Amino acid sequence: MTLYIVPAIFLGVLVLSLVRKKDAYAAFVKGAGAALELMAGVLPYLMAVMIACELFRVSGAAAAFSRFVSPALAPTGIPGELAELLLLRPLSGAGSLSVLENIYDVYGTDSFIGRCASVVYGSSETVFYVSAIYFSKSEIKRLRYAIPLALAASFVGNIIGCNLCRII
Amino acid sequence: MSIVWLIIMLLSVAALLLSDPSAALEAMITGANGAVSLALTLVALYGIWLGLFEALESTGVADRLARLLRPAVRRLFPGENAETEKYVSMNISANLLGLGNAATPMAINAVRTMKRDPVRSAVATTNMIMLVVISATSLQIFPSTVVSLRAAHGSANPADFLLPCIVATVSSTIVGIAGVKLLSKAMTAIAKRRAKRKKTGSAA
Repeated sequence: MTLYIVPAIFLGVLVLSLVRKKDAYAAFVKGAGAALELMAGVLPYLMAVMIACELFRVSGAAAAFSRFVSPALAPTGIPGELAELLLLRPLSGAGSLSVLENIYDVYGTDSFIGRCASVVYGSSETVFYVSAIYFSKSEIKRLRYAIPLALAASFVGNIIGCNLCRII
Repeated sequence: MSIVWLIIMLLSVAALLLSDPSAALEAMITGANGAVSLALTLVALYGIWLGLFEALESTGVADRLARLLRPAVRRLFPGENAETEKYVSMNISANLLGLGNAATPMAINAVRTMKRDPVRSAVATTNMIMLVVISATSLQIFPSTVVSLRAAHGSANPADFLLPCIVATVSSTIVGIAGVKLLSKAMTAIAKRRAKRKKTGSAA
């Protein structure tokens, strides 16, 4: 289904601009021109987040922290084996994806843990990354409660999802 | 954000200093390299999506989409102008379709055009927080990455997690939206009470 979304959207826009006699080429060039400038603003934030994430993983601090946290997950119904995934998911898409693959290899995709991991990865976002990038082109410095709230809400979603995996 | 980054860096660098000091720079270079190559990929992706958005804009479809979503957008983001509403609707539509990389440039533009707090212009407004929370709690109904990864790792039924996943996605977003509404109300109430106390205090 998702395979068709992107080509369908492009086809729709191209046909529409043809019908309405708009210059799609000129518009595309104008829009695409903003990409580099946009990214130049985003790159330093990207670097800060990804360096921290890599250090966190390589130093073993993430694994140590996960071991420390995992017993606390028991009452929520989230398997303790997912602690590292839960910890890295808000930080980095690529970093948490490799943790997810590792879970698939160790426990199997169709096991309870594998399914819970799928739910956790599929239903949450890179909270820190999103927060840093969205504000990269504005002068906003203080995000107030945005990050803690987004993390808490995702965690509630994870708890609900994992407990549903137990039943279904 | 700053405090979280600082804590993670402190913990990790301290751990590396004790265990494997030579790995520190290596890890930083890996991270920075990852950021640069991701940035290059994203320039390409943003180019595609921003180009498409401009073409979409010229046909008038973006305005129509914004009008369609306006009742919902107005309720979630009160008091913003038409331009911001358009960017927000594009962001939400792209997120729903699972096109996160198309959603991001729209959100950056939305934040840039949103009204600012007149007194404290460096502080995020409730609407900005709402946008971050809605995107950061994920809106993606069909997580195609996970489905294909499960298939690649030999799952007998790659879509088996979808129902709990959708429930989790929807409930986290609902909790997030409710949280923003409640917290912003609570904070204005506290600010009002504090202002009142200040007034009576100065009178006495």
